[in-house]
Amino acid sequence: MNRYRYLLQKTGWALLTILFVLVLNFFLFRILPGDPARALTRDPRMKAEAREILRVRFGLDKPVINCFETLTPLKLGDCRVNPLDTQFFIYIKNLLQGELGISYKTNRPVADILAERLWNTVLLIGAGQILSIVVGVAFGVFAAWKARTAIDYGALITGLVAWSLPTFWLGIILLFWGSTQGFPIGGKATPGTGAYPLLYQIGDVANHMILPTLTYIIVYMGEYMLVMRSSLLDVLAEDYILTAKAKGLSAFQILKDHAMKNAMLPIVTLIAINLGFTVAGAVQIEAVFSWPGLGGAIFEAVESRDYPLLQGTFLLIAVSVILANLIADLTYSYLDPRVQTE
Amino acid sequence: MKLTVKFVVLLTIAALALSACGALGQSQPVVMRIGWAGSPDTLNPGAAVLTEAYTIFALVYDAMYQLQLDGTFKLNLAESVSVSDDGLVYTYKIRDGVKFHDGQPLTAEDVVFSYLLYQNTEGYPWMGNYTTYFEKIEATPNNEVVITLSEPIPNIDAQLVFLYVLPKHIWENEDPLEFENVAAVGSGPFKMVEYKPNEFVHLAKNPDYFGGAPKVDEVIFQTFESQDALVQAIKTGQVDMITEMPATAVETLKQDPNIEVVTGAPFAPSVTDVIINQVLPENCPPEDGLCTGHPALLDRNVRLALAHATDKQKIIDVVLLGYGTPGTTLIPDGLGIWYNSSIKDYPYDVAKANQILDDAGYKDVNGDGIRETPDGSRSLTFRINWPSDSIDSPRLAELLSEMWGQVGVKLEAQALDPDTLTSVCCPAFDFDIIIWGWGSDPDPNLLLSVMTTDEIPTGSSETGYSNPEYDDLYRQQASELNLEKRRALVWKMQEIVFNDVVYIIPYYEQNVQAFRKDRFTGFILDQPKVELSDVTSLIRVEPVR
Repeated sequence: MNRYRYLLQKTGWALLTILFVLVLNFFLFRILPGDPARALTRDPRMKAEAREILRVRFGLDKPVINCFETLTPLKLGDCRVNPLDTQFFIYIKNLLQGELGISYKTNRPVADILAERLWNTVLLIGAGQILSIVVGVAFGVFAAWKARTAIDYGALITGLVAWSLPTFWLGIILLFWGSTQGFPIGGKATPGTGAYPLLYQIGDVANHMILPTLTYIIVYMGEYMLVMRSSLLDVLAEDYILTAKAKGLSAFQILKDHAMKNAMLPIVTLIAINLGFTVAGAVQIEAVFSWPGLGGAIFEAVESRDYPLLQGTFLLIAVSVILANLIADLTYSYLDPRVQTE
Repeated sequence: MKLTVKFVVLLTIAALALSACGALGQSQPVVMRIGWAGSPDTLNPGAAVLTEAYTIFALVYDAMYQLQLDGTFKLNLAESVSVSDDGLVYTYKIRDGVKFHDGQPLTAEDVVFSYLLYQNTEGYPWMGNYTTYFEKIEATPNNEVVITLSEPIPNIDAQLVFLYVLPKHIWENEDPLEFENVAAVGSGPFKMVEYKPNEFVHLAKNPDYFGGAPKVDEVIFQTFESQDALVQAIKTGQVDMITEMPATAVETLKQDPNIEVVTGAPFAPSVTDVIINQVLPENCPPEDGLCTGHPALLDRNVRLALAHATDKQKIIDVVLLGYGTPGTTLIPDGLGIWYNSSIKDYPYDVAKANQILDDAGYKDVNGDGIRETPDGSRSLTFRINWPSDSIDSPRLAELLSEMWGQVGVKLEAQALDPDTLTSVCCPAFDFDIIIWGWGSDPDPNLLLSVMTTDEIPTGSSETGYSNPEYDDLYRQQASELNLEKRRALVWKMQEIVFNDVVYIIPYYEQNVQAFRKDRFTGFILDQPKVELSDVTSLIRVEPVR
């Protein structure tokens, strides 16, 4: 009973948060200056009629919401307009139908762009995440087990340095080095190989993934390593570990059966949070290596002030972070039943 | 973990092995790989605004004229043209036997269909401007297109050059605004193979092209988000040509024996301008105008002093590392005959600038190092803004601040988001000085219009400059059919705005591009404009044997 209530409560909060993000997301981009028609008005080739048609096409001819014509610059308007004929409710209605609007820059539906890019990001960041978790956790366990030895200090310093490296800088360094080693430095596949055999294409994509994934692993494994190490050290100091040692269990058995399950709790949180951000991609890594993912989309959208595209990516990221957190909460309740009663 | 690593390593080996096999295979197509930092915004020729899109259109489509790298126009789809005596009716004889990439014939019907589509689709951002003077467009049974104009104009070539001819049989079934046109079926020297937005554009040669088939089999434009990656890509041979690079990379690339770095005026010549708000109270747009400009900027003496206090060569050396030419007016040197080369620029002379301000009564009364207006009401402190996405402007603003500080003028510098900048600029005139720029049309008409009184309320005029003599000359040149007479008018107009110091033009930027000379040869390099990826060049290049 208790458990269902806990689930219900967490899911409820997640839904509320998403609703809040929806509203915030809408107004945030209405407060920022930006109007595809205005961005082009300075060009004398743009005629007034064309400008008006663009505004209609992007729905900007309608009031933002009742009483407000526009937010930036602030212009008050009629309060008695039909709410369904305002930008806000049209936005909500379109969202419910899965429509995210039209990109200012490319004239394409935002949903199409995001769908293309989502998988590229999941591929790259997913691989990076899994590898950095595996490498980081392994190093963390090893360092904790060899605590206060040269190995531990070495691992600690490496972890700290890796974690604090600026991603963009590391990416550029790896790009320079990698390009001289024959690794591809841009895109997710060699252009023009679309008709080659499937095996070649898979290998080609894997080849393109090496440098960005490596950057990702170096930057993120430090975090996992440090958290794993300190969490495991805490657990290893517990009395029941001493008991286990006294019973004559092997080091491996103690780690596997007694220490790891408890030490993994903080890692689960970290994984869940980072998995949420997986969708956001790593804006900088994708920008350095021209990876056509969501991070790259954010980069381009900011550059060209393509607000519908930004709005769409923000929403997608927010929803995935919230979902990942929800999953973390639920996993927690399974791993540590105490959290339900608290 | 081990498994995953093994898997990746295996795949990599497989990939390398396969690509090695490929390289050894027989009759490999000649592929030219081009790295660029952009990507077309859309392949719909009516809806596109970015240069990258126009580069692709020029390769896959044909228009009535083709713009040459010396700035002249050459008949392309038409084999001949005749003009009526009153200059109103143009009859173009379309080449016979031209085919679209899908095998369908291209006829006068397609041309007429395309022109009407551009003219009637009001949501196309720029097309309305190129089709303003079309009154009637008809096809004759002799494969001719007859264009009747509403008034005689001197530059029909510049109007038609960007109106690409689309296949009627495809476009008549599509919504002209929504159609993404990913297949881009045209008649040009290259045909579309595959297009992935923001990743690459893959083209193959059109062996049946009427102007002769290109000598390379495929051309691939690949997008690199970072300029460092572009430079590394050409260095390591991952691409054969790059269309832009940071000025800091030029020297290292020049050292490479396999790479040729070329510079020249860009295909769409560009101007960087210092916009001075000089709108008079009586010209302030009644609806949108705020007109908060500093009153001292209305005084030609102040503008002239600022011009003398500007060391353009130093700006070019610092900001562009030398890759630019000092500017005089909005009409850049890349526009060929239209550029008034007889204008002598105001020499950099701090003493003279100080003298002009002293004589005009701008003295530093309170001794703070900044001059005051003759009536003592305000100091010569100007706001200066620039678009926050510009890489060069912050350095330019810093240099101006330093240079103008020597003549007792203070600048309050602030970068603004481009949309905010548009809203303070024009037609609001809520600024003192703005650093901005223009990409020019091949015809000077567009940039000349920017300085006319009529454009003050529309937002196209950035300075608010108003001079009846200039306005009158503008109207004359717009209907002068004699090329030499029109050139004289255009030159005269440049003289006027130069003498009135409407703008200060720090420089005309140059294109800096590079290609692998160990792999390709035959680019057009002896013209005033340099654009390696232009169709006129790409149709000629061939692999080094």
